[in-house]
Amino acid sequence: MLWKQFFTPVTSINGSEAKQLVVDEGADNVTFLDVRQPQEYEAAHIPGTKLIPMGQLDTRLDELDPEKPVVVY
Amino acid sequence: MMAGKGFKRIYNLSGGMKAWQNETAIGPPELGLDLFTGAETSEQTIIIGYGLEQGLREFYLEMAAQVSSLGSKSLFTRLADIEILHQQQLVALYKQVSGTELSRTDFETKLVQPAMEGGLTTTEYLLRFNPDLEQEQDILGLAMSIEGQALDLYERGADQTTDTAIRDILKQIAREERSHIAQLAKHIDEMA
Repeated sequence: MLWKQFFTPVTSINGSEAKQLVVDEGADNVTFLDVRQPQEYEAAHIPGTKLIPMGQLDTRLDELDPEKPVVVY
Repeated sequence: MMAGKGFKRIYNLSGGMKAWQNETAIGPPELGLDLFTGAETSEQTIIIGYGLEQGLREFYLEMAAQVSSLGSKSLFTRLADIEILHQQQLVALYKQVSGTELSRTDFETKLVQPAMEGGLTTTEYLLRFNPDLEQEQDILGLAMSIEGQALDLYERGADQTTDTAIRDILKQIAREERSHIAQLAKHIDEMA
């Protein structure tokens, strides 16, 4: 089995690039989205991150601004 | 999941929190992935779905062999078995949609395999996410993200078709994928 088509158009960036994105766009203009479970979020998360666990993502997308860049982890 | 809902700029933070904490973390190499366009026909959705179910099954069996906790092992084995059911449903659905009589073997060799050519192997796919395979939480998180892709695929397929019978089946498979995500989430919570 090969995993060809399953990715939606998402670019991967590393931690430094994510920080640069915040510098370029301004902190208020970048959404950080944590899709892990709540206790993982509680253990450690990027400051200002919005928590929406993966299992709720499809029903809670309206809580996010689609115009802003979103960094997901 | 988000790209289909109007989000234009989505970035996956490679390595997750670890990458943020340790700026030298390097993400997995990009391997020229073809993207799921969201414009697939019902037949294509079924073919891709079948391949995805096969990949999920392989992934769960591989993870069942890797993890040490009996609870996780049993969960992964159970999820792997459910994917076989999904594959059977998809073959039946394909026959219905296309009006052709195909054996499951023919469906796999003539339709699914060509559609997957040039893609990533399961190992390469895993490398892309770079999970810590010693950490069950990482593995469970990866499983959730793959199930999320599957859920998204079926939801989009269901939205696209005008045939209510097909929509019902795709919605039903989507609901089952959602319940997998819920099972994985519950399992992570119980581990805490």
